[in-house]
Amino acid sequence: MRILGCLDGTNVEPVSRAARMFAGAEPLTIGLLTVMDVGPRKDIDRTRERFWRPALHRQSVIQDMLAAESEASQDILKAGLERWPDAEPLLRQGYPELEIVNTAADWNADVILVCPRSEYGAPPSLGPHSVGHVARFVLDHAPCPVMLVRPPAAGRQAEAGGTGPRPRAGNPPG
Amino acid sequence: MRYPVLLFFPLSELWRTLLTSGIGVLTLVGIMVRPFRWNESQIAMGGAAVLLLLGLVRPGDAALTLLRDWNTFLFFLGMMTLSALAETAGLFDWLAVQAARLAAASAARLFLNVFILGTLITMIFSNDATALILTPIVYVLVTRLRLPVLPYLFACTFIADTASFLLPISNPINIIVMSRFPLPLPTFLRLLLLPCLVVIAINLAVFCLLYRRQLKGTFDINHMPTLSQAVKHRPYFRYTLGVLALVAPSYVLASAFQFPLSVVAAAGAALLLAGGLCWKRTTLLETGKGVSWSIFGFIAGMFVVVRAVEDTGLTVKLGNLLLHLSGGTRFGAVLAGTLGSALGTNLINNVPMAVVMNSALGSVQHATPALRNGFVAATMLGCDLGPNLTTVGSLATILWLLILRQRKLEVSGLDYFKVGLLVTPLMLLAGACTIWLCL
Repeated sequence: MRILGCLDGTNVEPVSRAARMFAGAEPLTIGLLTVMDVGPRKDIDRTRERFWRPALHRQSVIQDMLAAESEASQDILKAGLERWPDAEPLLRQGYPELEIVNTAADWNADVILVCPRSEYGAPPSLGPHSVGHVARFVLDHAPCPVMLVRPPAAGRQAEAGGTGPRPRAGNPPG
Repeated sequence: MRYPVLLFFPLSELWRTLLTSGIGVLTLVGIMVRPFRWNESQIAMGGAAVLLLLGLVRPGDAALTLLRDWNTFLFFLGMMTLSALAETAGLFDWLAVQAARLAAASAARLFLNVFILGTLITMIFSNDATALILTPIVYVLVTRLRLPVLPYLFACTFIADTASFLLPISNPINIIVMSRFPLPLPTFLRLLLLPCLVVIAINLAVFCLLYRRQLKGTFDINHMPTLSQAVKHRPYFRYTLGVLALVAPSYVLASAFQFPLSVVAAAGAALLLAGGLCWKRTTLLETGKGVSWSIFGFIAGMFVVVRAVEDTGLTVKLGNLLLHLSGGTRFGAVLAGTLGSALGTNLINNVPMAVVMNSALGSVQHATPALRNGFVAATMLGCDLGPNLTTVGSLATILWLLILRQRKLEVSGLDYFKVGLLVTPLMLLAGACTIWLCL
């Protein structure tokens, strides 16, 4: 079985935990994918266009940007490989949502593991808008089954009835 | 009265008006749509060339118009050179590292610091420097710190326009408007300082609310670049600081005494260039690359086109329409000026809109000083702040991005539009109301 785990720098733990659920499958190949997002760079170029400037031309600025992106991506993959040393690291550059779908197809993934959105310090939430645009695009366009990995805190909230949907009055559960 | 066209055919005034306004409208539509990805400056200069060739504007009048606006051209040149050389000195990198150090590992505090830094840079170097130079630097910084990139990029891009009317030099648009309608510094500050602070506060508050989840975390200070990494050549960096310490108060003094701001900007740029050449930190060619030369052709073309349209009386009609919409009240003047220029700025970009408004406001010259000042301040507010609605370009760009999305292509530029749509009308309204209260 070929499992593609999508890492974004905030989800190594939940993706690793979800991957462990497939530990019994033989043979098991895990691919850890991280994408260097080109979106912000394109936005910067579009802003330059508004100010009548050509796309970024200063080599030092471009090199700094690429070096920072590459360094961050390598760190993300390193953190993933610490948990799954035998995994295949996959580094791509482009729009994350497109790269995940394309890599899943090229790499012949059987399952994609993706988190609803990146979580930067705030507790994960359930409910409307809890699935970000990257995960939504992957769910819509993936060529194989997708496992949406909810971080554990969101699961606990749902169990406690915190932010999860409640049964309607007069509508018995089950 | 008959005018010669192409030196051969006489033309009645009606045909002359129709032809001139047709070329003017086509030029503006061309700038908006940019067919075949033509450069805006090519379109503007093309429009001006056609008008000159057809004899619809006299070469002498065109030359006089351009010479009269030398302050605008020189300011653009000085401002862009100054920013480019300050970037070469590592000033913006150094400031960004300082902002990160002062944030004490808090993502939220760094966000606030980026807002403050953007405000200060816009105030002294103009919005150009914040949007074009600070943004990539902040992008590198937050990527290294493993923080979410988007809130910080939005902060830089938006604050560049939001803080654009703190001082006359904070946006070249202010220079264009004030070249025709000069405001003494105390009047400028009375009318626009408080509104600017109000809209900055609104921008910050809305962004903090929008990105509260992404900004809850902390960052590892070990990932932070050092100050020595930011500054490559200490003597030139110190020299740059010294020159800017002279330039900043000179701007204020020049504004106060109605001395051309372009001279201060150009003198500052010349000093930095001399230092850069002396320490071999830059070359003339490298510095030239930091300047957008096409903008001069664009502005020159627009000045000539609007000059020709002005002769037909069309822009006076636009001014009269604005005056009519204002109902002759101060509040109406501020609202009509703000909304009119903000809408136009998103259609045809803010520089041509400021030139058009300059011409249109000629018809409010005879209104009461309060009404006239209201229109002038509102024009600067609308043209400076309006671009935040479609930060990544004009409405035409947004329509193109929407088409791409319909074709199932994910495009991040639309995220800017969504945020702009949420925050900009609120800021425009609050800014207009505050100007009205300050009138």
